[in-house]
Amino acid sequence: MSTQHPIVRPGAQVHFGVFFQGVNHTTIWSDPESGSQTEFASFERVARTAERGLFDAFFLGEGLRLRESRGLLHDLDVVGRPDAITQLAALAAVTERIGLVATQNTTYNDPADLARRLQSLDVLSGGRAAWNVVTTDNAWTGANFRRGGYLDHADRYERAAAVLATARRIWDAFPDAGTPGTVARVTASAADLRTPLDAVIDPTTPRSPQGHPVIFQAGDSPAGRDFAAANADVIFSAHGSVLTDALDFAADVRRRVVAAGRPEDDLKIFPGTSIIVGDTPDEAEERARWVRTQQVTPATALSIVGNIWGEDLSAYDPDGPLPAHDPVVEELGGERGSATTGARTREIAQRWRAIAETEGLSIRQLVIRNSGERGFVGTPGSVAEDLTRWVRTGAVDGFNISPWIVPSGLDDIVDRVVPELQERGAYRTAYEGTTLREHVGLREPLPWRTERRDEPRESGARAGAGQEGEAAESAA
Amino acid sequence: MTIPFFVGLDVDGAGAHPAAATASGQAPADLLSGARLARSVRQAENAGVTFVTFTDALLPAVTGHASSGRLDAVTRAAFVARTTTAIGLVPQVPTTYPEPFHVAAQLASLDHAAAGRGGWLAGVTRTPETAAAYGRAAVDDVEREARDVVQVVRDLWDTWEDDAVIRDVATGRYVDRDRIHYPRFEGASFSVTGPLITPRPPQGQLVVLAAAGDVAPGSREPLVDVALVGGTGAADATAAALESRARPAGSALGTAGPDTSQRGTAQASDARAVDGRAPRAGVEVEVVLDADGRRAADRLRDLDAATPGGVRSPWGAPAPSGTSPLRYVGDGAGLVALLTSLAASGVDGVRLLPAVLDTDLRALVREVLPALRAARVVVPPRPGATLRETLGLPRPANRYARVA
Repeated sequence: MSTQHPIVRPGAQVHFGVFFQGVNHTTIWSDPESGSQTEFASFERVARTAERGLFDAFFLGEGLRLRESRGLLHDLDVVGRPDAITQLAALAAVTERIGLVATQNTTYNDPADLARRLQSLDVLSGGRAAWNVVTTDNAWTGANFRRGGYLDHADRYERAAAVLATARRIWDAFPDAGTPGTVARVTASAADLRTPLDAVIDPTTPRSPQGHPVIFQAGDSPAGRDFAAANADVIFSAHGSVLTDALDFAADVRRRVVAAGRPEDDLKIFPGTSIIVGDTPDEAEERARWVRTQQVTPATALSIVGNIWGEDLSAYDPDGPLPAHDPVVEELGGERGSATTGARTREIAQRWRAIAETEGLSIRQLVIRNSGERGFVGTPGSVAEDLTRWVRTGAVDGFNISPWIVPSGLDDIVDRVVPELQERGAYRTAYEGTTLREHVGLREPLPWRTERRDEPRESGARAGAGQEGEAAESAA
Repeated sequence: MTIPFFVGLDVDGAGAHPAAATASGQAPADLLSGARLARSVRQAENAGVTFVTFTDALLPAVTGHASSGRLDAVTRAAFVARTTTAIGLVPQVPTTYPEPFHVAAQLASLDHAAAGRGGWLAGVTRTPETAAAYGRAAVDDVEREARDVVQVVRDLWDTWEDDAVIRDVATGRYVDRDRIHYPRFEGASFSVTGPLITPRPPQGQLVVLAAAGDVAPGSREPLVDVALVGGTGAADATAAALESRARPAGSALGTAGPDTSQRGTAQASDARAVDGRAPRAGVEVEVVLDADGRRAADRLRDLDAATPGGVRSPWGAPAPSGTSPLRYVGDGAGLVALLTSLAASGVDGVRLLPAVLDTDLRALVREVLPALRAARVVVPPRPGATLRETLGLPRPANRYARVA
């Protein structure tokens, strides 16, 4: 396999982040070894383990409404999570180096408030904060917020770009440490923000050792990739299991980055993935099979298929065949809080039935098969070989690992895989810097991205350019 | 059992005086660093302070001045959650413009991280510039908005019953959906469906503090646990405190009784409220102490002279109830005498607003708090105790839990 993909970055090193999942069915909460998903101690143990393993970042998701299935709260998966920035602030005090990534929505946050909270985390953590930018557009989520469901689907990335640009101006409004000067006033127009009134903001948050938070983005649609190419420092992709797929994704994203006027390595690629190791290849495979079975319980399998069919299938036999009839709904609604919103249910059902019939799969076996992301399975040595190849072929810069069990899920990776990577010269042996921007190997933030789009790009433009009050006020 | 007198201490930035940052000579990033914050709060905890508050506002005290730098209060409080074990952590979060759903989740998360030591100083915002920063129309009735926001945040904290997470391997259910509730709140200017994304905080409800008069009376339950008053002198402040305690702050129950039109789910809290849970009443005290060989009056004169023009929240600003904070300028022994007399007159506690944090905290730690402890006026919070326990407030039953 490796001969198909040339090594284009011979000295490149593997980077790791950890994604402490909130709502999902991949965390095996039913195992006796599984700890609390609520108590702070669980988050602290994962973050400290990751820091011991010299990870770049610890990553928290966000939810703005509890998921429902056909009007009832979804009750099978881990649910209930802390506010990301608040939790990361508490973690900042008990860690020293690891980056702290908060997923925060641009639709149901106000830029003045959100930029301030993120920058507060960045200052308190000594320059370790990042913002994973996400969007929502459905009125179902909006029912928890003052403005309600005010935004059209097509406008969500425009609002996201405007909120992010406003946040950057807020972060750049303060003079750099040690530099005299006044704080610039920041304005944002109602048309940009898709809200009825203009915003006029006098920022209060000084700059951090890394300037301001690093920007992560996780959308995979063409619009999402373009948003990341224009705005993000790190793209948290879903392409973390098949190398050719990851290489295709990287080539596509880099084309978009260059088209956005940036050097192609300006956007780092960190796919989400999982790692399962065993002492022998057979043991690792056996463990992987066990993990997949635990993740897809009979109830979870029936719930996932029931969501596509639009009805309660809990009376079906999970070890039996898919329903013989067609789904009762045309299209999935946003109220399920799922990533498949808008998908055509009958097409999905048809595809699934074809697979199940061809391969002779029960409902549960089909769902396990569809769970897709296989991640990396093998001995610590073979996994280290694979990860190194991924980075050195240029497919990725690092991996965002989702542990399948909390809080012990990183132990194998830190204790067994990291040393194998280090032996191969493919992993740091100490943190080289103190900020997240340094861990990931990012350039300093470039204000021209938001302030000077139409001007020719100066390569190597440094933070500090374009931070004067006039520039910060000009985009209104 | 008598409840000890509480001593709250504000730890905002360089101090409560608007010239404190300039006088400190420190760069904004140093003044606001995590290390300095953790050190200040640790000193307060070691001295036996009951809780610290983190004063906040979205906009700077002086527009354009880097010395007006300030970090978000919930984020500051969360940062010290694990560097402390006993002291209460009370961020100021305004009720007027932020999203109530976010506020409820943030404060619940603070209480989880701090193992039940979280509180909320619910403030109101009267400056139209803050509305502009949010890109919203100015709220005309901030007390009514405060009532609605405090009410829905309290409703949201109860949306998960304490035992909602069941982890039932036999049925594959992680939670019992019958123990998670939708408040479907309709306020005067907004609505929230719920439930919260964060499980119920360890205290059930965080301790809610507010200036007397800031939160309009609710119809269902007392909304404020600790009312804060000012006064022109000790006697005046004492009278204001006793008055605010006689009529539960943020509650119409003292006069009107429970609103019988409320939904059935709120009945449990109505019953609890009319049982007569008394709120605590504290006095806000601005403090300038003799320190570093200088007399307090001289320090204050210099600070006032150094105050930049155009300050949005001047030192000694009137409280919403119409009175300014009490002000103490003098030596430590005089402050001990003042606090002891307030305690003896039936006031439940104080919130101290040190003019310059580093300087006045040093004097408080050396001269004032040890004397109050020795006289048993103040009892330091016990490590591991919740803020409710420290203040003698019961842990509320969940309003949505069905009576067995």
